[in-house]
Amino acid sequence: MRRQEAIEDQALDWLIRRNAPDWTQEEQVDLDAWLDEAMAHKAAFWRADHLWQQADRIRSLGIEHEDRADDQEPRRKWWPAAIAASLIAAVGIGGLAVAPRFSDQPAPQVQQARFDTPIGGRRVVPLVDGSKVELNTRTVLRTAVGQRKRDVWLDSGEAFFDVAHRDGEPFVVHAGRQTITVLGTKFSVRRDKDRVTVNVLEGRVRVEDGEGTMGHAAIITAGDTAISHGASTLIAAKSEERVESALAWRDGMLSFDQAPLTKVVAEFNRYNRVQLSVTDTATGRIPIGGSFQASSVDSFTRLLHDAYGLKVERSETTIKISRP
Amino acid sequence: MIEDDELNAWFVREVLPLERALTSYIRRNWRVPEDVLELRQDIYEHSLIGARRALPLNARAYVFTVARNHLINNAKRARIVPIDTMADLDAMHRDIDMFEAERALTARDELRHAKEGIDKLPPKCREIILLQKVDGMTDREAAASLGVSVETVRRQIKLGMKALFDHMAGGSGRIVRKSYRRSADHEVLP
Repeated sequence: MRRQEAIEDQALDWLIRRNAPDWTQEEQVDLDAWLDEAMAHKAAFWRADHLWQQADRIRSLGIEHEDRADDQEPRRKWWPAAIAASLIAAVGIGGLAVAPRFSDQPAPQVQQARFDTPIGGRRVVPLVDGSKVELNTRTVLRTAVGQRKRDVWLDSGEAFFDVAHRDGEPFVVHAGRQTITVLGTKFSVRRDKDRVTVNVLEGRVRVEDGEGTMGHAAIITAGDTAISHGASTLIAAKSEERVESALAWRDGMLSFDQAPLTKVVAEFNRYNRVQLSVTDTATGRIPIGGSFQASSVDSFTRLLHDAYGLKVERSETTIKISRP
Repeated sequence: MIEDDELNAWFVREVLPLERALTSYIRRNWRVPEDVLELRQDIYEHSLIGARRALPLNARAYVFTVARNHLINNAKRARIVPIDTMADLDAMHRDIDMFEAERALTARDELRHAKEGIDKLPPKCREIILLQKVDGMTDREAAASLGVSVETVRRQIKLGMKALFDHMAGGSGRIVRKSYRRSADHEVLP
C-alpha cells in the first residue's frame, strides 16, 4: 500500500473507534499522539471526520425504510439484493462496452500517406487534422491520421510538427524505438539512425522508449531537448536559444553557437550534394559560431578562408578543408 | 503558529469544499489514476504545513498553487515517469474558470452527492451505514441487530466510508479492491 493510502486507512480505523461510545481518555491520548506525528495524519483524519459528519445530514433527507432491506429480516434480504445489484452492474458494464461501437460506425477513416524530401529539400505538409509538418532535408515520413488516433512514422531525417490540439486524441510520432506523444504543441524530431533528438518549441511532449522490458518515458517542456540513443535518454535543461538554433533550418539557415567545425561540416552535408570534409583533427576542433544559409556551401567556405585562413580545395563532389 | 483547532476549522471550511475541483484537476493533469489519492493527500499535507505559519487569504488560489507545484515537482523529479503520465499543466488558467462553477455547489448539492453515494454502496455496506446514520445505532447495536460481529460492521463501515468519500469528491464511489495495471504494450510499426 502506498503512503497516503496507508495513512487514510489508519485514519479511518481511528475514526471508527473514536465514534464508538466506549472511546476512552487513553485512546484519545494515543490518537492525539498519532495526529502529531505528521501533518499527513491530520489531513487524512480531519478530512474523514468532516466528510463522515457531512454524511450525517442524509438523515434529514428521510431515506425511508421501504428503500431499504426489510429491517425484520435483514440477513436474508442481503443476498438477493446483492445478486440483483451485481446483475445491474453486469448489465451496466455490458451497456458501456457496447455503446462506443454504435458511435463508431462507419469504420474509422484513416488517411495514410508517405512524404519525402531530397537532399537540401524542405517542404510543408498539411495534415487532414489541421496539423502541419515541415520536412527538413533528406526526410522520409509516413502518416496515418484518423478519427481516434494520429500516428506519424519518421523513418529518417528531421521534421517540425505544429500539432492541432484535439481533446483525448494524442498525436504520436514513432522514431525508431522512441515514441513521442503530444496533445497540441510545436516541436521537432530528428532521426539519425539510432539517435533521436526532440526539441520542444511550445508546450509539452512525452518521449517514450518503446522497447526493452520496462518502457519508460520522460516529459519535456518548451526549451528542452531530449536526445535518445537506444534505451538511454539525455534531457538537456531549458535553453530556448539552443532550441531556436536547432530549428533554424526552417528558415533555411543553420545556426551554431561555438560548435566544432566537424559538427558544422556534418550539418552542411545533410543539405548539400557537395560534401565537405576536414582533413585534420586540429582544424576540426575550431569553434564556429553564427548563422549560415544551409544551401550556400560556397559562402561558408569563403568565410572559413577569410576568417581562419583555411585552405579550401574543390573537386566535383567534395570540398576539402585543411590548414594552409 | 496557528493552533490545531483553528487550522482544522480552516481546512474544513476553506479547503475541503474544493475537493471535487481539486480531484478533477489532478485527474485531468495526471494520467495515472492510481496516483490521484496520493497526490491529493500530499497536496493537503503541503497546504496544511504552509498554512500553519499563517492562514492564506485566498485559500483556493493557495491550494491550487500548491497543487500545481506539487504536480510539476513530481513530473520533474521523476524525469523518467511511468508511461501514461502526461501533464498538460499549462491548462491551469483555463481550468480556473471551471473551478468557479464547481465552487458554487450548494449545501443541497452536497447532500445530494452524499445520498447518491450511499445509494451506490453494495447492499450490505449500505444497510450498515444507514443503521448508523439514520437510525443512530452504534457499531455494537448494528452488529447485534444484524447478527454479525462488531469487526464485520466496522470493516463494512470502513469500506463504505472510502466509497462514500470518493463519491463526494467526484469519483465513481465504487469500492475499489487492489488491482495492478500492466504498462501498456505498444506497437511501433504500422
